[in-house]
Amino acid sequence: MSATRRNVLAGLVLLAIAIALPFVLPGRYLIGQLTLFFIWATVVTQWNLVFGVAGIFSLAQMAIFAFGGYATAMVGLYGGWNLWLALPVGALAAVVFSLVVGLACLRLKGPYVALLTLAIAQGMYLLIITDTACFSMEGVTCRNFTGGTRGLAKYGDFGFREWLGYKYMAFGDYYLALGVLVLATAFSMFLMFGPIGAAFQALRDSPEYATARGVSRFKFQMLVFASSAFFTGLAGGVFAGYYKVMGANTLYLSPLLFLLAMMVVGGLGRTWGPLVGAAALMLADEGLKDFPEYRFMGIGAALVLFVMLWPRGIVGAAEAIGAQLQKRRSELGGTSTRQH
Amino acid sequence: MTAPLLQLRDVEAGYGGQRVLRGISFDVPAGQVVTLIGPNGHGKTTLLRCVSGLVRLGAGEILFADEPISGARAHRIVEKGVVHIPQGDLLFTDMSVYDNLMMGAYPKAAYAAAPQRLAEVFSLLPRLQERRSQIVASLSGGERRMLAIGRGLMANGKLLLIDEPSLGLAPLVIDQIYEVIGNLKRHGMAILLVEENASRIIGIADHVHLLDDGKIVWNGTPAEMEENEDILTTYLGG
Amino acid sequence: MDTTTQIIISGLTLGAMYAISTVSLSLIWGALNVLNMAQGALLTLGGYAAYTASAALGLNAPLAILLTVAAGGLFGVAMYALVVRHMLDREGFEVNVIIATIGIGMVLEAGLQKLYGAYPIRQPLTVEGGFFLGNVYVPYNSVIIVLTSAALMLVLAAVLARTRMGRAIRAISQNRDAARLMGVPVELVYAQVFALAGGLSAASGIMLSTITTLAPTMGYDPMLKAFIICVVAGLGNVMGALYAAFLLGLFESTVQFALGVRFAFISMLVLVIAVLIWRPYGLFGRTRVTKL
Repeated sequence: MSATRRNVLAGLVLLAIAIALPFVLPGRYLIGQLTLFFIWATVVTQWNLVFGVAGIFSLAQMAIFAFGGYATAMVGLYGGWNLWLALPVGALAAVVFSLVVGLACLRLKGPYVALLTLAIAQGMYLLIITDTACFSMEGVTCRNFTGGTRGLAKYGDFGFREWLGYKYMAFGDYYLALGVLVLATAFSMFLMFGPIGAAFQALRDSPEYATARGVSRFKFQMLVFASSAFFTGLAGGVFAGYYKVMGANTLYLSPLLFLLAMMVVGGLGRTWGPLVGAAALMLADEGLKDFPEYRFMGIGAALVLFVMLWPRGIVGAAEAIGAQLQKRRSELGGTSTRQH
Repeated sequence: MTAPLLQLRDVEAGYGGQRVLRGISFDVPAGQVVTLIGPNGHGKTTLLRCVSGLVRLGAGEILFADEPISGARAHRIVEKGVVHIPQGDLLFTDMSVYDNLMMGAYPKAAYAAAPQRLAEVFSLLPRLQERRSQIVASLSGGERRMLAIGRGLMANGKLLLIDEPSLGLAPLVIDQIYEVIGNLKRHGMAILLVEENASRIIGIADHVHLLDDGKIVWNGTPAEMEENEDILTTYLGG
Repeated sequence: MDTTTQIIISGLTLGAMYAISTVSLSLIWGALNVLNMAQGALLTLGGYAAYTASAALGLNAPLAILLTVAAGGLFGVAMYALVVRHMLDREGFEVNVIIATIGIGMVLEAGLQKLYGAYPIRQPLTVEGGFFLGNVYVPYNSVIIVLTSAALMLVLAAVLARTRMGRAIRAISQNRDAARLMGVPVELVYAQVFALAGGLSAASGIMLSTITTLAPTMGYDPMLKAFIICVVAGLGNVMGALYAAFLLGLFESTVQFALGVRFAFISMLVLVIAVLIWRPYGLFGRTRVTKL
């Protein structure tokens, strides 16, 4: 079986399990956590494309996510649009934002990109929390355009409560987030195994040759950066609709680093890295729920340990062990050709 | 009779699975100039990098003053008195001539004796004194080569490894450089010299080794080399 | 006239504070190509260490500062010896080491928060009082910051220019292999660079905490500003970083006055992006610096 078919099959099995899960899970809490997991995993799959495949050391991922979320919320709030219609608008707004960021940063090299994208995220955060100018009046209270420190609210939701009733409304958010994750994963696989993946492979293996053949790094990087911003922004919109409040806390350093840890722990540039990493970090986070003061420390320690000891992440380490076992088996058994 | 200053015994080395040196053995006696010649890309520079500790040996042994130095760290080897003057100079281009020379005197013993060494280097290479506070980037090619040699001398070494001192220089400047190397020899310095241009070494070398494809395929005196038609036609184009 | 004086005084104070931080970042980048994302946490460490030394241990100011600088230096060496050293020369070093220093910063920051709590504390080393220059009030604290920073920078410049260690640091930044051939024990010098940068950062952290207050996240914003200054100067260019720090300090205080504090950070950001479009390697940078 080819690698692609194996990946698709594995994906379908996981998808079937994910579809069935809400019906067997006890209680709303776990469904909520899984919804959040889908949202974060979506963002990490796209970041993995940017960082692990296209080699752009961008730290603007949560800024793009927040931009999508804010844009969705604002279209709902100020435009009065249904959130389902606001969602793609928010995603497209995130693409436009990523193009601006990309034009400003992507011509620069590695560390410069990291610094500038981080600074852009912080600039965005500071502009939001220092926003005190009155944009509109809400009764007697003044509302800031960006929501300021309080964030934006009352911009509507996806209407799952009316459709599905109180009992099943959590299912709606769950399946919506799952759907976005499936689309984002399919898209990232398409990029990784398609011509774009090949172009970056070529740029990595022999930059001079690739450039001579007309493969422009900048062009491809912009392409990946902008298209991954679509799904990132979409995830931001889903997040806004799910939580019904969109605030600047999405731009704190801790969620960014939480997602960075997911990517690093899962395995940079690996197909299943983002999902495995997101699952691992969410589980660890759940375990540390009663010790919140060690949460930040744990993420930091995980980052250090993984880049030092397992720079290819859990997936990379598993692949290496798998290859080792395969080798040993073929050495011992000689003719064993079982495939997974 | 004392043992030779530098001894190489069956030295093997390579990069990433590709062997560049395969079983090299020869000596450099004290006070002599030993020369490695041969076509480009056949391991001459790698050999010098092995001696100075920048490249790990795959097999074999290198002794300096009867002590093994293979496996030692590069800065320990410099402290023992083996000084490598690399190909292409590798100067610190944003630093002044003076600072480059002082970097040459980095080892503790050399640093203590630096003022005196500086005077000696300036008397041997007066151009450097004129350019003393200039930034390296503003020097000519010949001046840079002089500085590379001067910097090597600052370490107060017992053995100089000089890699392609004539590379990329005009003939007149090459003459000046070889005059300096000849001077060093007269002062009793042992030198292991890598040179592409075999005709340059005839007046100066005590012994010649011909390195081809990672092996020493011939060795002898410069006079013997000149009589050997095969070598002249195969390797030296002439 | 008074406005100008005010802007210059506040700009110099900011610049003096940034200068030390920026130079520490630049030293580490120059020598090892490591972008030290733990810088913010190092600043915080400096602030709290000085607090402990003077408030809890009751030491006098010079001794407390000395102890703090030593603590910063020690942490720098530990960072190098325990983490960075093991990653040198490995595949993907430049990116992985950034991630590692982010992690170190998080652990340090969380540790400090655990020890001291999340609530802001006043830095006891803050100097009260001031004098009038015309109609402008000049706090003694600002004067001390500017003078200390200038003194530290002079000492650092002398060390880099004239000492055996300083020359070796510069030499390694320019050509690591050649430095090895000169007999420089490269790993030892790396450790020295981390010690120097850690100590300087801690000193910068004390200054910072006398202007703001002590809080676990106090280092983050100044770190980003220091990075911006580094980028404007060209990463790894120590003297350039020094000039750029004062330039941007003045720029920031001008913007704060003209447009309000709100736009200070964002206009620095716009400025740096403009500079990079105009000169991709920074104002004082060389192409060598960004080669990958």
